[in-house]
Amino acid sequence: MLPLSDIFKPKKPDIEAMTQKKDIAGLIRALRSSDLDVYTRAAKALGSLGPEAVDVLVKTLKSKNKAVKLGIIGALELIKDPRSVEPLILVLKDKDSEVRWQAAIALGEIGYERAIDPLVQALRDPDKYVRYGAAFSLAKMGWKTADATDRAYYFIGMQEWRAVKTIGKPAIPALNQLLRDRDANVRVKAIELLGEIGDADATPALMRSLSDENREVRWNSVLSSSKVGIALLHLPRQIAKRPQMIKNPIIAGFLNFLLPGMGYGYLGKWWGLLIFQIDITTTVWLFKYQGEANSYQVLFPIYLVLGIHAYYLGIKMPIDPP
Amino acid sequence: MPDIEAMKKAQDVKGLIHLLDHSEHDIQWRAADALGSLGEIACDPLLKILAFPKVNVRVGVIEALGDIKSPRSVDPLIQTLARDKSNEVRWVAALALGAIGDKRAIPALLQSLRDGDRYLRYGSEKSLTMLGWQPENDTDRTYAFIAMNDWESIKKLGPAAVDPLMDILKDKNPVTRGKIIDILSSIRGHEATQTCEAALMDVDSGVRWKAVIGARKCGVSNTRLPLILSRRPWTTPSPVGAATLNFFFFGLGYHYLQKWYGYLIYTSFMATMVFVQLYTDVPVPFIYAYPITWIFAIQTYFMVKKMHDL
Repeated sequence: MLPLSDIFKPKKPDIEAMTQKKDIAGLIRALRSSDLDVYTRAAKALGSLGPEAVDVLVKTLKSKNKAVKLGIIGALELIKDPRSVEPLILVLKDKDSEVRWQAAIALGEIGYERAIDPLVQALRDPDKYVRYGAAFSLAKMGWKTADATDRAYYFIGMQEWRAVKTIGKPAIPALNQLLRDRDANVRVKAIELLGEIGDADATPALMRSLSDENREVRWNSVLSSSKVGIALLHLPRQIAKRPQMIKNPIIAGFLNFLLPGMGYGYLGKWWGLLIFQIDITTTVWLFKYQGEANSYQVLFPIYLVLGIHAYYLGIKMPIDPP
Repeated sequence: MPDIEAMKKAQDVKGLIHLLDHSEHDIQWRAADALGSLGEIACDPLLKILAFPKVNVRVGVIEALGDIKSPRSVDPLIQTLARDKSNEVRWVAALALGAIGDKRAIPALLQSLRDGDRYLRYGSEKSLTMLGWQPENDTDRTYAFIAMNDWESIKKLGPAAVDPLMDILKDKNPVTRGKIIDILSSIRGHEATQTCEAALMDVDSGVRWKAVIGARKCGVSNTRLPLILSRRPWTTPSPVGAATLNFFFFGLGYHYLQKWYGYLIYTSFMATMVFVQLYTDVPVPFIYAYPITWIFAIQTYFMVKKMHDL
């Protein structure tokens, strides 16, 4: 008898047989497998098919499936056919950062001059992985430039911060752009460097970073601001602009009066919910045994006290430190 | 849009002070700038609202006073620096005292140089330098370096830096405490054992780990580490608390553990209880419910036990 688990488990695709038959469509289908081993072998097999597979692979590059895209880029990287360069350059603008990253790596492996300009553009990518991949590929292709700005982008991509500093002033636009990076550690690094370079050109960008959402970014912006000559007395107002979760005590009090407990919940107290539910249960009991009018006589003063308490709790809430 | 330029020309101090509480940041700060440029006539009205309840308004007032540079504002600002509840306000006060340039502020600034807030320390150091202050001994020098975030220079000072470093461990920011532990464990020949032990019980797991790595150089024996670490404050939720909540108010225990479904379960549970009560007697539904919630309480207890951190 067949074991039960085998019925539900899809049969593993036979990669070897498909490679023998040059079944490109079948191998591409295998790229959708959730099994990493099958996936890796399928991508490798596609790469081993050589230049004749390139046309089909390039066509499938428009697939919506990320795993398929990544697998195909990997295969094209192994085939190293000039026909794949233009389509891969287009993929450098894909909306998925992992796909862009893989394309940047592949273009470096394939190694045609035509890819250099698009890779230099990719150094300005908002994603640090893509930037790193592009910088690495450019290094691999022996790219050299006299343009200081491009060089700054290159070293930023490579995460070689010392080298960025030696470039000095021409690196400032690149560092400014880095202040929009999603990774707070990268933003901190950029701010440190702007401070060390110490040029007034960094002023607007640093002013913006003083109200960054991240605490360490804000602190490092303060340290760097004085190094580029921003007036110290004006730093606090920038910090004051930071996004803050300020709770309104009036809302807390009002909520707690109407729906006892919900005001506490609004102030972030987990037990607000508990009080809310206790109130509802008690109210139902009181209604059943005392009648509505009598119940409200008892409950109203309590609600008033709870409302006032939530209001004062809201006033006393500690403010998030800068 | 209020016409700030016109108000400035008309020397409308009262109107400008009102704008310090405007809902838009930009207008607040332009009003502060305008008040600062009006000079002495704005000084007394500004000093009157130095204790305004809103932090942003106080910051604006002090900025303007820093621009006016009146000697009359020095004493009130020293009071603010020493007493205000908001560290942000104290920070601006420190910066403003430096901008005004009156040497009477030096003792107060030396005090705030040793504060637990890194912004305040930084502002105090900057202002002290502006007032021509120079550190006279290694202790003051260390405090100044800490304020400037200049950790490399502190290392060079050696054992003399130990006491100030231990003092600033009171900083609420874990990044600062981590840095201090790093340095304390790189300086040789000092008695910081107690401080290192305190750092081993820090609320922040990053600081605790740095303290473990530096423990040997601090003179804390390896064998005692687990014992000391086990005394750290409890930052994870209490298993008994979560279980008790789930027993009496099924779902609220999960809510306390910040599970999204806690609220859902709790509301459904309580609604059911209320409805059943309307048709039966009050305690009836609970008699049936508690044996079931008991099982969930035990499950909750073990769920939290697994969430331990070190």
